[in-house]
Amino acid sequence: MSRPKRMTKAIIVGHKSILKVTVDALHDSNLFHVEDFIEDESGFKISKPFQNAEEVSRKLVKIRSISNFLGIEPKEPAVQKADSVLRELDTKLNQLDRSISEKSEMISKCETDLKDLETQKRDLLPFLSINLDFDYYRGYDNLKVFAGSIKGNLEEGQISSITQAYELYYDPQAKTVVLFVAKKDADRVQEVLQKLEFRDLRVPERGGIPSELLKVTEQNEADASRQIESLRKEVESMKSQYADFLLASDEILSIENQKAELPLRIATSQNAFIIEGWVPSDNYDKVVSTVNSATSSRAYVTSLEIEEEEEEEGHVPVEYNNSKPVAPMQEIMDLYSRPKYTEIDPSSILLITFPLIYGMILGDIGYAIILGAIALAIKKLVKSDAVKPLMNILLYCQISTFIFGIIYGEFLGFPLASMHAEGETIPGLIPGWDTVTLFSGLAGEQFTFPVHRTHMIMTMIGVCLIVGLLHLNLGFILGFINLSHHSMKHAVLEKGSWMIIELGVLVAALGYFGGISGLTYVGAGILVLGIVMLTMGEGIKGPIELPSLMGNTLSYARIIAVGLSSIYIAGTVNDIAFKMIWPDHSQIGFAAIAAIIIFILGHALNTVLSIIAPGLHALRLQYVEFFGKFYQGGGRKFNPFGYIRKYTEE
Amino acid sequence: MVEAATVAAAAPIFGDAGLKALGAAIAIAGTGIASAWAEKDIGSAAIGAMAENEALFGKGLILTVIPETIVIFGLVVALLVSS
Repeated sequence: MSRPKRMTKAIIVGHKSILKVTVDALHDSNLFHVEDFIEDESGFKISKPFQNAEEVSRKLVKIRSISNFLGIEPKEPAVQKADSVLRELDTKLNQLDRSISEKSEMISKCETDLKDLETQKRDLLPFLSINLDFDYYRGYDNLKVFAGSIKGNLEEGQISSITQAYELYYDPQAKTVVLFVAKKDADRVQEVLQKLEFRDLRVPERGGIPSELLKVTEQNEADASRQIESLRKEVESMKSQYADFLLASDEILSIENQKAELPLRIATSQNAFIIEGWVPSDNYDKVVSTVNSATSSRAYVTSLEIEEEEEEEGHVPVEYNNSKPVAPMQEIMDLYSRPKYTEIDPSSILLITFPLIYGMILGDIGYAIILGAIALAIKKLVKSDAVKPLMNILLYCQISTFIFGIIYGEFLGFPLASMHAEGETIPGLIPGWDTVTLFSGLAGEQFTFPVHRTHMIMTMIGVCLIVGLLHLNLGFILGFINLSHHSMKHAVLEKGSWMIIELGVLVAALGYFGGISGLTYVGAGILVLGIVMLTMGEGIKGPIELPSLMGNTLSYARIIAVGLSSIYIAGTVNDIAFKMIWPDHSQIGFAAIAAIIIFILGHALNTVLSIIAPGLHALRLQYVEFFGKFYQGGGRKFNPFGYIRKYTEE
Repeated sequence: MVEAATVAAAAPIFGDAGLKALGAAIAIAGTGIASAWAEKDIGSAAIGAMAENEALFGKGLILTVIPETIVIFGLVVALLVSS
């Protein structure tokens, strides 16, 4: 149980001549959360960006557009010296820019050529079987040339009936007609052709035999495609050659850009600047000494009192203060909402309760091993910072699942220990391991070890509700602590009253079922007292919410309900595979292979479900039932002015 | 198993056991439909809100799963009836 890191509000004041060194020092320290200045009546104004800002952002835009063109993605960093990258930046960038634009121009030229060739080819195709040089199609004084396509069929007799002076080329397959007639007959011939829906075709302007032209065009097309291919390859090789440079310079310029634009976020007058912000209290001295040494003590740094109002209204940025094993649970917190500065950060409690409930739901040695191995493998293979915490959470959950797997004695839906109940024997996987009856549970069931969940549903519901009550009361206690920092009276009336009500119900129930009527009245008295306190604490809304306590507790019945659904899916897969498809285990043949395939597919499906269903339900029990008792959230993220370098170093 | 099957076949549907099973089925079916109905509306609204602002995932999830309690009640009733 921890609270967010304590913060100190600090201001740094100095002459504008030392602004740049101050900004550099603050940025390097990566500890100072700059509070944006909003112009008001005080006479201070935000300043202009540093002089180099324009140049830096121009280069940054160029670098990012090149990276985008080359498709560069973040990768395993090869750390480079910042100053050497910076020295080469201009020449390398210009060179890169030039060759990229050259290449992309050439590519687009080739692509246009390719399109032209495509059109030429399309024009050629109808004339392919008419082996006539295109130069013969034009340049006549007394001849008319019809070159086009028709629908229907052309009989040579239709033309010869008009005139004898003609030359006809007809391709009945492509329906292409090339007809030479004397000009004086042209009108009549056209009439005939028009009946056949004659349409002019464009005659290619180049002379030559169609089939030869086609060959040349296809040759050119292949050349152009090859050229595009080789240009693309060159771009690809540039990508691998310049990836490191681009990533490193992007990082350096992003840093420069952040620094250059800081003056837009701070208050300045004619000659002075004021930077206001937050530092984790532990690091305050470090920030002071960094700024002092950078400016030879010419800047004035001081801490300010944090007003209570600021704390309450969530102005103070919140940074988690957790040990390394707890850190992954912060993801679950951020998914809901970051804690407020004034409240308890429940990450370390989630470290126990979340895997505990997940494990209670799933509770299977087989799935724990499979999912644990998957989580470890993904953690090893994927180097993403976003994935790692999630895999750690999954690992925590699998440890708990493994432990509950032993308690439940389950392996991929098979019971490990054999069980004798109601005259029948359910065999287990491990011969010789029998379930031991410990004591009798609810509704005539026997509480056994290992716990056979399918045979003691009512008892397990009881166990789950008890777990739920404990979990809820932990929430009330945390709420009590949160409020008691504010005012003890509120804490007792708003959160303590719930526990008193529970105590009253418990005492009354003990009295009623134990047959001690005196105790029943005492319990009822405590209950009434609790309700009165609750009404004083939360007003009329308190008693109205009383039934929610029952709803919240019953909600924990989902632990066994979701768990049972998982067992039944696994058990059904096992039954289909080993009882229905392959009942005779001595025979190895087609049935055995089919059974194994069904077994693997079925359990693969259930493995995926085993992440989603228990995960979501465990999460919900934390968010709705548990957090509802104490947690507010809504804290502002502590976002220090700085940059975590990945590809470069000073 | 064989004995149970013949007993079930011989027993009338509207006998004690049959009515119990029917009651349990109605409890699960009714509450299941009810929570699905409620979650349908909340879920689509939550997705809409998340499209606007991804930080609302946590709140969206909570609001969406609140009606689930209905079906849990149904489950408890079904188990009580049939046991």
